[in-house]
Amino acid sequence: MSNTDITSAEMDGMGPKGTKLGLARVLGPAHIWGLGVGIVLVGEYMGWNFAVGKGGAYAALLACWFAGILYSCVAMIDSEVTSTVAAAGGQYTQAKHIVGPLMAFNVGLYLVFAYTMLEAANAITFGFLIDTVAGMTGHEGLDQRPFIILSIMFLAWLNYRGVLATLTFSLVITAFAFCAIIALFLSTAVFMSDSPLRHVELMTDLPYGWLGVLAAMHFGLWYYLGIEGTCQAAEEVRSPARALPFGTLAGIMTLLIAATLTWYVSVGLMPWEYLGQAGVPLFDAARLSGSMTLMVLLGVGTMFATLASANGCINDASRAWFAMGRDHYLPDWFGAVHPKFRTPYRSIIFLVPIALVFALGAPLDQVITFSILSGLLGYTFMPMNVILFRRKWPLDTIKRGYEHPFHPIPAIILLCLCGVTFFAVFLGYGSQLVAMLSFYIIVSLWFHFWRYRFVRRAAQFTMPWPRPRGY
Amino acid sequence: MANYIPPVQSKISQIIDVIVLLVLAVGALYVPLFLNLVGSAQTSNVPDNPTWEGLGQNPTMVEKWNELGYATAADAAELITARFDYSFSILNLLVMIVVVVGYYAIVLRFSGKEYREVISEKFGDK
Amino acid sequence: MDIWNVMEYTAWGLSIVFGLYIVIDWIKTDSTYSEEELMSSREGELEAMTEEQQL
Repeated sequence: MSNTDITSAEMDGMGPKGTKLGLARVLGPAHIWGLGVGIVLVGEYMGWNFAVGKGGAYAALLACWFAGILYSCVAMIDSEVTSTVAAAGGQYTQAKHIVGPLMAFNVGLYLVFAYTMLEAANAITFGFLIDTVAGMTGHEGLDQRPFIILSIMFLAWLNYRGVLATLTFSLVITAFAFCAIIALFLSTAVFMSDSPLRHVELMTDLPYGWLGVLAAMHFGLWYYLGIEGTCQAAEEVRSPARALPFGTLAGIMTLLIAATLTWYVSVGLMPWEYLGQAGVPLFDAARLSGSMTLMVLLGVGTMFATLASANGCINDASRAWFAMGRDHYLPDWFGAVHPKFRTPYRSIIFLVPIALVFALGAPLDQVITFSILSGLLGYTFMPMNVILFRRKWPLDTIKRGYEHPFHPIPAIILLCLCGVTFFAVFLGYGSQLVAMLSFYIIVSLWFHFWRYRFVRRAAQFTMPWPRPRGY
Repeated sequence: MANYIPPVQSKISQIIDVIVLLVLAVGALYVPLFLNLVGSAQTSNVPDNPTWEGLGQNPTMVEKWNELGYATAADAAELITARFDYSFSILNLLVMIVVVVGYYAIVLRFSGKEYREVISEKFGDK
Repeated sequence: MDIWNVMEYTAWGLSIVFGLYIVIDWIKTDSTYSEEELMSSREGELEAMTEEQQL
């Protein structure tokens, strides 16, 4: 361990005084957009449609918009706090400065598990897609495992080699996948002289009534799950106070558009009973449009979306793990930065076998539920976080890169929507919810009574902020 | 207030810490499976000799089903009649609310205690 | 043995290559540089270098 100490005058590890190695600061706002949208866009290609199965076509649209409000609040709140806390670890570092160490530890774990599980789910889907393509060319019984492993190993290698190449890759394939959705919408709804969309005939009443709308919120999150991951790159952007709010808010707008278009095209092409259980709904939609070009476009789009998502997940999970290691919340061995590539290489390596275990061994719906729940716990933390932030450091005490409007209304709306979503998860996966919370309770006790003794107290508060009000 | 100096943790102890975390995480994932508490599955109620009309499908829907590869009503009947069961007991709901609220209460309480320590060490006692 | 079998073996092979690259570089890095240097990254550098927060 180095002898730098953040409270020391000569060797505080900051800037010129003692730091030799940090993460590379090379990213711009477009990369942030690519990272945020890249993680999420796969949700448009698959997964969101389970909301249709949960409550019917209209319920899925309502869930899409309610979840859209939820995530707009998340994005605004996150943008404000992150534009002042520019450090790897994102919400983890925010929690550490604003709520307290145990909350931070929990938030760090939400992030790592949400992203690692999502990465595993993406790898499973990637293997399934390759299998589908092989099946279409007449090859039966393909071994999916080498493709699952290859996707994880390749992306880990990319992440290991440097963040700029990683996120540029994400940016390009995400932009492609997004354009594919736009192309599908434009050609089916606008350009085809004989539009295949049949909304009038295909739409039905709510099959489960309003309870179905609540239940649909569970998968309504899929339209946007992961956009908050933009904060993880805070330490690697050239100008965090500008790039993070811009990239995140542009991301949420992109997703709102993509989600609504996806819904519109899909429910106009498929009966809701089919759509609610489809594996790759956008690809099916392209198939039903009757255009070969669209089929290829959306097929490639689906594949790119899974890769972009897994790529962003590796990036974000490793940043959170790295930040916790650096603070001794986890063994400090993880806090190392690669001297040449400037990446948290040990965290990246460590998370590879874990992702492989989940991708090869665990059932997909369990993995997805664990990921959604970890995300949901994180969103519930955010309103508390921002309310405490505004109370401890009112607007006139520290400079913010972005101030979210109408405080505390977004925080209250977010909290209410989280409550609704907890209820929706409870309707289908109540026992998983309790199992997961038991896990977090046990881990919290373990951290408070054992692990926290290895953490230096004042050194973890690294922001040059004044003393918080009320302390 | 004197600064808190954390003890140095041995390599073995660090490795054990990581293993404990992983075992707990994998446990949370698999315990519901072992207890057979899998998430709510849909149940289908397929009538005998299903027809498109009997399943409430209009001609456009039938056309789409055909394009999707379901040639007869019998092929699609299982998908069409699949429904979730949303009944739940108030007791279970209360248990969930208590667990969620209790969890956040514990975390916020302990965090608050640790946070005061951090602030007083960082900024000095008032 | 059709194209897809070849693809399977290629995927296995590439996975091993990427894995080996990472592991070899990891070992090389850890033995070349001192722990102190590898772990010299500090949170909050950015704030200290760019601007002082104003009250």
